Amino acid sequence: MEHGKWRVLLALTLIMFSGFFLASSSASAADVIKLGFIADVSGIGAPFYKSQKAGLDMFIEEINAAGGILGKKLELVVRDAQLKPDVGANMARELILSEKCEFLIGPTSSAVALAVSKVSKEFKKVIFFHTSNAEALTTTNFQPYMFQVVPNTGIEGRGMALVLSKKPYKKYSLIGPDYAYGHDQLDSFTKEMAKRRPDVKILDTVWVKLGESNFSTFIPTLLAKKPEAIYAAFWGGQLSAFIKQAKPYGVFKQAPVSSLYDLDMLRATGLDMPEGLTGYARAPFYAIDTPQMKAFVKKYHEKFKEWPADWAIMAYDGMTALTQAIKEAKSAESEQVVKVLGGLKFNSLRGERYIRPVDHMANVGIYAGVTAKSPEHKHFLIMKDVKEVPAEEVWLSVEEVKKLQAEQK
Amino acid sequence: MTWQLFIFMLINGLCQGMLLFIIASGLSLVFGVLRVINFAHGSLYMIGAFLAYSLSTLLSGESLLGFLILLLVIPPAIAIIGFVLEVTLFRRVYREEHLLQLLLTYALVLILDDSVRVIWGGDPRSVTRPDLLAGSVDVMGMALPSYNVFILVIGPLIAFGMWFLLYRTRTGNVIRAAVSFPDTLGALGVNVSWVMTSTFMLGCWLAGLGGVLTAALSNIDLGIGMEKIIECFAVVVIGGLGSVGGALLGSLIIGTGLTFFQLPFGRWALVFPYALMALVLVIRPWGLFGKPER
Amino acid sequence: MDHMTSSSRTQWISGITLIVILFVLPVFLNEFGRTGEYWIWVSTEMIIMALFAMSLNLILGFGGMVSFGHAAFFGVGAYTVALLTKKADLPLFLALAAAPFTAAITAAIVGWFCVRLLGLYFAILTLAFGQLLYMIVFQWYTFTGGDDGILGIPRPEILGPTNFYWFCLVLFLICFFVMKMIVSSSFGLSIKTIRENMERAKFIGINVRRYQLLNFIIAGAFAGLAGGMLAELNRFAQPDFLHWSKSAEPILASLVGGMYSLAGPAIGSTVLIFLKIFLQQIHPSMVELWAIVLGAAILVVVLFAPSGLVGLYQNIYKKFQS
Repeated sequence: MEHGKWRVLLALTLIMFSGFFLASSSASAADVIKLGFIADVSGIGAPFYKSQKAGLDMFIEEINAAGGILGKKLELVVRDAQLKPDVGANMARELILSEKCEFLIGPTSSAVALAVSKVSKEFKKVIFFHTSNAEALTTTNFQPYMFQVVPNTGIEGRGMALVLSKKPYKKYSLIGPDYAYGHDQLDSFTKEMAKRRPDVKILDTVWVKLGESNFSTFIPTLLAKKPEAIYAAFWGGQLSAFIKQAKPYGVFKQAPVSSLYDLDMLRATGLDMPEGLTGYARAPFYAIDTPQMKAFVKKYHEKFKEWPADWAIMAYDGMTALTQAIKEAKSAESEQVVKVLGGLKFNSLRGERYIRPVDHMANVGIYAGVTAKSPEHKHFLIMKDVKEVPAEEVWLSVEEVKKLQAEQK
Repeated sequence: MTWQLFIFMLINGLCQGMLLFIIASGLSLVFGVLRVINFAHGSLYMIGAFLAYSLSTLLSGESLLGFLILLLVIPPAIAIIGFVLEVTLFRRVYREEHLLQLLLTYALVLILDDSVRVIWGGDPRSVTRPDLLAGSVDVMGMALPSYNVFILVIGPLIAFGMWFLLYRTRTGNVIRAAVSFPDTLGALGVNVSWVMTSTFMLGCWLAGLGGVLTAALSNIDLGIGMEKIIECFAVVVIGGLGSVGGALLGSLIIGTGLTFFQLPFGRWALVFPYALMALVLVIRPWGLFGKPER
Repeated sequence: MDHMTSSSRTQWISGITLIVILFVLPVFLNEFGRTGEYWIWVSTEMIIMALFAMSLNLILGFGGMVSFGHAAFFGVGAYTVALLTKKADLPLFLALAAAPFTAAITAAIVGWFCVRLLGLYFAILTLAFGQLLYMIVFQWYTFTGGDDGILGIPRPEILGPTNFYWFCLVLFLICFFVMKMIVSSSFGLSIKTIRENMERAKFIGINVRRYQLLNFIIAGAFAGLAGGMLAELNRFAQPDFLHWSKSAEPILASLVGGMYSLAGPAIGSTVLIFLKIFLQQIHPSMVELWAIVLGAAILVVVLFAPSGLVGLYQNIYKKFQS
């Protein structure tokens, strides 16, 4: 044992004690409701984060201007999960314990969401997911403190299978990110397609690491078996990188690509986006015709000088549901709020919606359409002929959900 | 697999390999002369890519001229950064043990990567390909991006240029001598520290060039440096540490391997570079083209 | 401890004081409600990472071999616990007991190839094997959950935050004293001889490769235990645990703390984790600059104080005495 080591340790322990006192001295005020936002700030989720944050900021500003809720102001605390589940879970723990957040707001990545959901369960704090949407969150990994206001991967995969089953294509190749979201969605798509169109063949599924942006080795593989159509489960920066690189490989001449064409992705891809591709969005502002949406869009555009992307809309809707639950529970504590969340009806920007008690899933469907140029938007394409595929048509039945939840691991 | 598809895949894979070669050869060259494995090589590559993005927004890209300016300006800029790093930091640890050298370059990775985050933020970026290179070329009835063809042309040019520099010029003789007989060089009246600095700058120049080329090939974000350095590592180890020819072979094996194995093995193809690297190290630790340590 | 001088007696006293403080710490922290619970959690993580750093130092500091693949064994331990508890429904204690074994077996296979190489090539080969294992865990979606990792590792009711802290502390202390015994045993002396002068070690009849391999396996086993403990603390395992950047963490900790002593890496690791969280507590955006701060600190240590904090303390102490 070398000289004086114990004393170094002892000295350090004392320093850390004092550090702990310094760090913990920042106590929080009692008259605010703290919302912990575990976000994916950087990487392929970056554009989504900006929209989410804008939607949340706008909502909180409105509520606080009107005197807050139950007399308390809302306060948002943001942490970057960097698309990494371990970082997300640690941040969630830190938000609950150290920042004293009573409610959590979920991230972009479903893998992070699954990890964060476990923390929310452990500490019995409500978490709502407005972007991350693995169906597993509501089935095999269901826990009563989570609720979801975004169409989940099951609704998306089965919804698009429903839309595409009406098209003549018989040979599909699939490509998607190799994590929970990609697997959940492509599974749902494949199963539903097999049910609706037994004659359709899935030739190949190409898995790409989440965040990988060089598709040079994957695209030739995707085309090798000569598919008639391609279904891609990418999102955000990864999808727009895929579309941009697919073009010079002649992908669109060979087969149309269907995927999640949300506003942020369309804006990022710009005029590189081909016309006439069938795709879907989660909440396209230009295709939802409700008075609430019109008012929201107008205000949003005045405030941020740009149009609200799906993520801003869904984040806003999530806050609407959460604050309404807080009002109905007459309490800002997760334990009370969670009692009214199941079955809650709320007035979302997408119209009247409710949260299904069995899996805490809001009845939100996808909006399917075809990409097209629009005279109002010079720098990017939008979708035309947009129709909502109602959640009720494609979500799992209560029996199926219960069966999956019973398998919970 | 039809033979047309085979040829197409081969060309596509070679293109990937060539890009990898440009970056990895810099790493190998620097190791050969300085005997330091520079983890920060990937970070310099990333900085090159982000600088290319920033400059391209100023130049209003899409014109071939703008892209050529990027290719001419960014790599020397990275070489200058390399110059500063070599003179202020690397020079001080050449005589230290390997661990301290590795840690020094790893510290640089932490500092440089985080600086990129602070300066450019976390958004993914890309450089628009010039119109001339944005289309595609018909290869065996399939479309190959003309940009890939461009890389396929640049790669061998760089390889030839490096061969010429190393084997046909006096500087090259000195560099090669520095690789083989580092101790006797000073006695011959060669300014060894100058050789080291300029080799390091050349390595950084290559990293910068790779960065510019990548920025227009795919999206760039904060993770690319860490990811690329480990790929380059595999290349350099397979080819032989310090051997530029080995780096060329290693890059082409990995580039084509990744493309071909994707079809039969799917996601397991990505294990291939590391499996090959481990295999080579076990059988022939000094790499295919390298020489056993003295 | 060769002889009981007055300075070694004060060492004993401060050592025992420290252990007592560490045991009482959570009782004290529990007074602070949720904030206290957070710091108990952080302290548990510090204990686990300290064990990980110390395990690496058996090969790094005492063996003089730079391994860039040590996280692989840490990760194997983590996945052992995750898979055994989740898929085989084994109780936690059995799974934790299995972690060092699986890690040791992995280390035996990897080490058998690696110890044949020296210096830089040893470092690169460990890196290669580490990345290979990382890629296998990453790609094997049906078994390891791939990128998603394995979530929701069960925790026995009695292991609340405080009890788990004590549990980890006891494990850590046991490991600490076992390592201390190993280091001061004849085996440990042989390892140090190999580090100082391999030719001489061969000459006096030490089977260099076998000793190095054995040391590599022991270090891997401790890393596996640490990995299993972390998986249980976080209640998940994920491929990043095996990534080469994770292997760098204990190296940095050893460098900062000082790699030629047993406790040095533990100190280094604790200081680094504390600094990072402290920075974040001052202001969340400060954490953005963490890597720059860490990098700069390492540069300073590499250039000016290669023997780390403990070495620095010893130097100052010596000057003070003379």
